[in-house]
Amino acid sequence: MRIYILRRLAEAVPTILMITLVVFVMMRSIPGDPVVALLGDAFTEEDAAKVRNEYGLDKPILVQYGLWLAKLAQGDWGTSILSGRPVLKDVLVRLPVTLELIVLSMAVALAIAIPAAIIGALRQNTWADYSATTIAMIGVSIPEFFAGVLLLLVFSVALHGTLPSSGWVYLPGTCPMLVCTGSVWANMMHVVMPAVALGIGRAALLTRLLRASMLEVIRTEYITTARAKGLAEKPVVLKHALKNALIPTVTVMGLQVGFLIGGAIVVEALFAMPGLGSFGIDAIIARDYQQVQGFALITAFAFVVINLIVDLTYSLLDPRIRYA
Amino acid sequence: MRHPVRNAATLIVIAMMLGGVTVAHAQKRGGTLRVAYGNEIAGLDFHVTAGYEMIWVATNVGCGLVSITPEGKFIPDAAESWQISPDGLLYTFKLRNNVVFHDGTKVDAAAVKFNIDRIMDPATRSSVRTFYEAVHSVEVLDARTVQIRLKHPYAFMLHMLAAYRMGLVLYSPAAIQKYSPEDRRAGKPEATISCGPFRLIEWVKGNQLVMDRFDKYFEPGLPYLDRVIIRTIKDPVTQMAAFKAGEVDFLADFSVDHVDTLRAQNPNAQIMTGKETTPMVAMMKVTVPADGKPMSKNRAPHPIFGDVRVRKALGCYGIDRKEIVKLAFKGQATPWLGIIPPGTQDTVDVTSLCPYDPAKAKALLAEAGYGPQKPLTLELLTNTEKAVFNVIATVIKEQVARIGVTANIRLVDKVSWLNTATQDGPFDMYVEDLASLLVVDQNAYLAASTAAWNSARHTDTKVDDYFARYAREMDSAKRKVIAKEFQEFSVENLYWNTISGSPFYQVAQPWMKGYTYQAEFKVIYRKVWLDR
Repeated sequence: MRIYILRRLAEAVPTILMITLVVFVMMRSIPGDPVVALLGDAFTEEDAAKVRNEYGLDKPILVQYGLWLAKLAQGDWGTSILSGRPVLKDVLVRLPVTLELIVLSMAVALAIAIPAAIIGALRQNTWADYSATTIAMIGVSIPEFFAGVLLLLVFSVALHGTLPSSGWVYLPGTCPMLVCTGSVWANMMHVVMPAVALGIGRAALLTRLLRASMLEVIRTEYITTARAKGLAEKPVVLKHALKNALIPTVTVMGLQVGFLIGGAIVVEALFAMPGLGSFGIDAIIARDYQQVQGFALITAFAFVVINLIVDLTYSLLDPRIRYA
Repeated sequence: MRHPVRNAATLIVIAMMLGGVTVAHAQKRGGTLRVAYGNEIAGLDFHVTAGYEMIWVATNVGCGLVSITPEGKFIPDAAESWQISPDGLLYTFKLRNNVVFHDGTKVDAAAVKFNIDRIMDPATRSSVRTFYEAVHSVEVLDARTVQIRLKHPYAFMLHMLAAYRMGLVLYSPAAIQKYSPEDRRAGKPEATISCGPFRLIEWVKGNQLVMDRFDKYFEPGLPYLDRVIIRTIKDPVTQMAAFKAGEVDFLADFSVDHVDTLRAQNPNAQIMTGKETTPMVAMMKVTVPADGKPMSKNRAPHPIFGDVRVRKALGCYGIDRKEIVKLAFKGQATPWLGIIPPGTQDTVDVTSLCPYDPAKAKALLAEAGYGPQKPLTLELLTNTEKAVFNVIATVIKEQVARIGVTANIRLVDKVSWLNTATQDGPFDMYVEDLASLLVVDQNAYLAASTAAWNSARHTDTKVDDYFARYAREMDSAKRKVIAKEFQEFSVENLYWNTISGSPFYQVAQPWMKGYTYQAEFKVIYRKVWLDR
């Protein structure tokens, strides 16, 4: 298992490097120059040339990329061109927020998808099945920002601040700032709306997928055998059918992480959360190249690691699967 | 009841005394003010970084020599008094004795000289350096007296020190020497040492900025607040939800589109607005580089707007400013034409010189050679920073279509716009609101032919002459005459095409007291207190 993990991580290195290279080249190919934004009213051609030289922006793109990689190898993620802040420090401050959002939104998705799929599969072509399928269709059709605004208007505005509309409270012991009070309860209150807004679309997708898998599995011979042996319906469904039906769903869950990161950009902006999504989008808009690279690197890495974890869970669901 | 008048007077005096006592005790000390900004703070070097959000921190962490009231009266800051020599060339400031920086070092004449010299040093790349063009030198007369010598009379020296790019901010020389420009830009608290009512505690970009009361602030008893926490909420819907839920006390900038909704949801909210000091423009490019190299000094007329007849056809008679204001601002702005926004000192309303007249616009276009045989097509650039820009661009597109002109809207992000508009990039017309202006002189760095921000790229030195004459004229009555003449000249040439003022809104909870609205110029929490 350990060798498998190391091999997978080693295989991920070229993928991550390729992603960072593509992002590096693309960012420098689109119109816009961070130096103009940096110098603002004080812009002169002479000053701009000096600043470009200071940040190495006057060098060929591949040379710039090489320099960035060389610094990265030494643990230096660079410094934001606009704010002057170390990129790694900002990434580490924001990463826990986005990770929590993604994990909880996936939990929301599963909490909705699993019961809905089971009901849909076991009572196929009944009102319960049609209801679950219809809700799934609606869920897939609602974009994150729309679900977020609806939740905001209901729970923060109409219900007079039942749930906080914006911002973030860290879990105890995780706060990266001087002025901050960590609280589990306040953290949950802050994350619930964003997680639901982000998770609802995934829930719908997973419901449809899991329902189809369940329908397939419950018609297999080993389920018939289990029932014939007199096993109660609950263990048949949860222990035998669901476990096997989950394998394709888990694969899709891993792939959905990319969509969740994309959705997090929208949700974090809407709920004014200090996560990686807003960090990335701000960096792209400002053409803060170093910050964009930091964002690309961490999201690519997160995607690879989460998919590795997903692959490793196969063996938990199906003991026949072995890693070598 | 024998002396009703006397009794009434006595009651009034008692009431006034009681009132006075009540007022004196009314300002509650302590508490945390929760502020939301609509945009992220770009950086925290007060002499270098651009953006209002940074400035609104600087006006609380920093102090300067003088400040200015909303009525335009100069008031002491670190300087307790000042004198201007009869020839207008020497400004002598006497500093207060009790002003210290947040690191405990004294604010003295040497510190003032250090700061102005730093701003004027090209190596600092200060965004306010251009305002100090008139300054010849700064001399320390004694520990508490500093003298600024000018090259020529400059009527707006005090305005400049008080409010240009929101005024001079004094840094602790010790902190400047100890820490790097990157440390200041990144907002390291130990590098961001000034002498304002609040000291910077931390800035975690994208998360929060925290300022605490500076106990040794030179004005006794101020500030009232213990702490100010600033965070960024970009989405106006989320801003409204946070405000309605009482999660924020103050929205430092609020979208004009949502004011009516917020008012309906929060009848007790303090919705503040005032004079429109920011111009909303539909800028037309006047020249292009003759050699094809952006920013080249070798200029040729712009193929469309190089012809003043076309500028006047579109900018003067072809645009219905009233309709734009009605549709884009729901009527909450002033249709305007002059180079100086409606709320700016010495402005003159010249809008009537350009009445909406499509027939006249068509005639001018025909005179310039455009018509059904040779239709005019142009590119209308705008950006995503504010939704209203795109609305205005769409209305202009519709209006110019009525005179046979096709405008293709190009919507880009703010940085792309900056690169195109300020770097002599290819565009025909753009829609934007530019800097907030206190006086005409302030516009020189946007509109003079030599200005980096002369995005129209006009080359008419008469504009520079007007700015120079206006700035050097010490007689206010004569300045008004120059301003009027300049406005009329501007209408004739349309190097600068204003559409309207750009309204600015701030919103406070009913319990936030003591705040004075000063548009984008100053956001100061020094006298703010919380009544709850």
